Amino acid sequence: MSLFVRRQLPIVLVFVAAVLVMADYFLKIPGTGPVVKDLQNWGIILTAFSLGFGAVNLFYLHTRHISRRTPGQWPFSTWLLLMIVVFTIVGVTMGPTGPQYSWLYNSSYFALSATVYSSLGFYMTTGCYRALRARNAEAALLLVVGAIALLRNAPAVAVGVPIIIPMEAWLSAIPTTSAQRGIMIGASLGAIALGVRTMIGRETGFLGRLTEAERRG
Amino acid sequence: MAVDLASVVQIWLAALFTIWIYSIAFRDNVFFKFAEHTFVGAAAGHSIVYGFDNVRRYGWDPLTKGALLYVVVFLLGVILYTRYHKKYFWVSRFPLAVMVGIGIGLSMRATVTAEFIAQIQSTAAMKVLGVDAWTGFSNLIFIIIVLTVVYFFIFTLPSMHKGNLGLISKIARFGMMAAFGYSFANTVLSRFNMIFGRLDFLMSSWLPLPGAMVAMPIVLILVAYAMIPAQKRPWPKPGKTK
Amino acid sequence: MSKQGTGFWGKLEDVPREILYAILLIVFIIPMLKPVGFPVPISDAVKKWHATIDALPAGSAIMIDFGYSGGGEPELGPMAVAVYHHIFRKGGLKSITMSTSLEGPLLWDKVIAEVNPAKYGAKYGVDYIHIGYISGTETAMAAVGKDLRATTNTDYKGASLDQYPIMQGIKDASSFKLLICYTTGGDQSEGWVRQWYTPYKTPYLLSVIAMMVPTMLPYQKAGQIVSLTSGAQAGEMELLLGVPARGIKSADVITLTHLLVFAFVVMGNIAYYGRKASERARGG
Repeated sequence: MSLFVRRQLPIVLVFVAAVLVMADYFLKIPGTGPVVKDLQNWGIILTAFSLGFGAVNLFYLHTRHISRRTPGQWPFSTWLLLMIVVFTIVGVTMGPTGPQYSWLYNSSYFALSATVYSSLGFYMTTGCYRALRARNAEAALLLVVGAIALLRNAPAVAVGVPIIIPMEAWLSAIPTTSAQRGIMIGASLGAIALGVRTMIGRETGFLGRLTEAERRG
Repeated sequence: MAVDLASVVQIWLAALFTIWIYSIAFRDNVFFKFAEHTFVGAAAGHSIVYGFDNVRRYGWDPLTKGALLYVVVFLLGVILYTRYHKKYFWVSRFPLAVMVGIGIGLSMRATVTAEFIAQIQSTAAMKVLGVDAWTGFSNLIFIIIVLTVVYFFIFTLPSMHKGNLGLISKIARFGMMAAFGYSFANTVLSRFNMIFGRLDFLMSSWLPLPGAMVAMPIVLILVAYAMIPAQKRPWPKPGKTK
Repeated sequence: MSKQGTGFWGKLEDVPREILYAILLIVFIIPMLKPVGFPVPISDAVKKWHATIDALPAGSAIMIDFGYSGGGEPELGPMAVAVYHHIFRKGGLKSITMSTSLEGPLLWDKVIAEVNPAKYGAKYGVDYIHIGYISGTETAMAAVGKDLRATTNTDYKGASLDQYPIMQGIKDASSFKLLICYTTGGDQSEGWVRQWYTPYKTPYLLSVIAMMVPTMLPYQKAGQIVSLTSGAQAGEMELLLGVPARGIKSADVITLTHLLVFAFVVMGNIAYYGRKASERARGG
């Protein structure tokens, strides 16, 4: 297939889709409204299709472990793939909001998700003891601000030492918000630049693997 | 309080998974690996289930009701998976291009207003004069930190941070350190709330169940045993490597 | 056990992590077994959140996004429960919920079961409804904001929206007087600012996990978010509403564990500087 179709046409598609969506917002050209509405619905469906990528990649990886009988790994890989199959069969046949799927979700996925998120709290605690050092002025400032916010977040301390409430409010409103705003403005400029570069074909990361000819052309 | 069998089994499974996941804080072990693989498999399965549900509700149902153009979307959705093909991987670029284009259009059209203009307007509206001294001083610090942090990120060449210009970066770094210190405290709050949630579940939902108080020390002992390196464990012995 | 430093300061600096975890768990469990009942101050953000909902005229439609995952449930679940108590108790409001998170519909089921809307006389399809998980995050937000009925015509169980009185007159973002989002993701929290507040100026209440609060503060400062709270403030909302539940239960634990972390930071730094001083003394 020609280089234009393989490399340039997708970039043209990106440009057209992006310009259409932006034109509908900024220019209100008659006729673009229904087109963009349909395009957005298409985007929802395409995203739904892409939700299967994770499972496909896992199948790729773990079937290799099973076929090679990787020591210490292949039984777990078998179990993982079994979980994917069980969840899919129950969810698709009995509905994702049915009592059976709900039971499956609450007994496994929900508990695991909540616990994995929370387990980082233990590492954070050791980090607080062993790694948070006031080695220089900047680190000391981080610690002082962190300590004040920590004490404010402890409800009883906030009631017992009321001065901590306005102190934390000032730290939140002034240095934290301003620094975050600066980071946000910088990030938004970067995002706009990345968007424009993608639209004009200077950023081709979304194209994935490029052949030699595509890289040159 | 009567609890049906399905709920009892559900609570038991959730409790065991909770303990097994927490065991990684001490040492890797077979129970954690089992729980971890269950999590990854469940997450992937869950994604497929809701992906299928969304395709059916937002794609298939309109198609069967006469929106024939949706055939194109279905085709695009299916050819997304050609990315795994050795020769025809490039075909998946087309649906991806549509998704990327929509995403860029949606985010860029509002980013300019929401994260650039609105933020600058809000900063410019802050009064330094004509207000009480403390408010004026605070607002001045705010404006200085915003400007220095924006400078810090936009001008990345080393020469822009040397000599007297280095003062700008220094102020920016101090401002960001204060923000990160605040973030650290909030992260502690977040994680500890999550740990409390799981411990509260164990204590108020699982332990009151019959047998749970007896089972808990047994589970903990088994997990601790699993943490012993395989070579030092009396049983099971590690398999011979080929 | 981890490797330990030599000398008193070295040993203090290198306390094995197992001991730190054990102390942490003890400080967690003791107040759970024997609650102390520490006082809890109610913050301005929670009061503003409460006042915003209170000020809604009868018949107002609220769009609620259950955009959090199971990991955020211990924080955001109690907040969602408390807010639903407020909405149902006030009465006359239409809560239309969608999910931009894969786990949203199932987590919504949990919250509704905990709230028990029937005790307020609230009925599904009349006072509240869930229109399901819609993939695409910002694409979904934009699509629903532009034309909700063109995006979806079924509720989260697949039943037609036409049969539900609550959906009468609901077309797009302009049909809603308020937007509420509970989320663990920056995509959702920022996405609603971009796709609903910016074009439609829909007032926006946001509750996120505590660690996301700093990144959302600039939006609140610019007036794009009416009130920003963390799920950890659920206890304050419960106190304000008089519906103590899971949120307020954590108050004692949070106070003591935070004091513990503060003590750890101080001790760790004392040990660090003590070790450096003793090394300097030994060296010269």
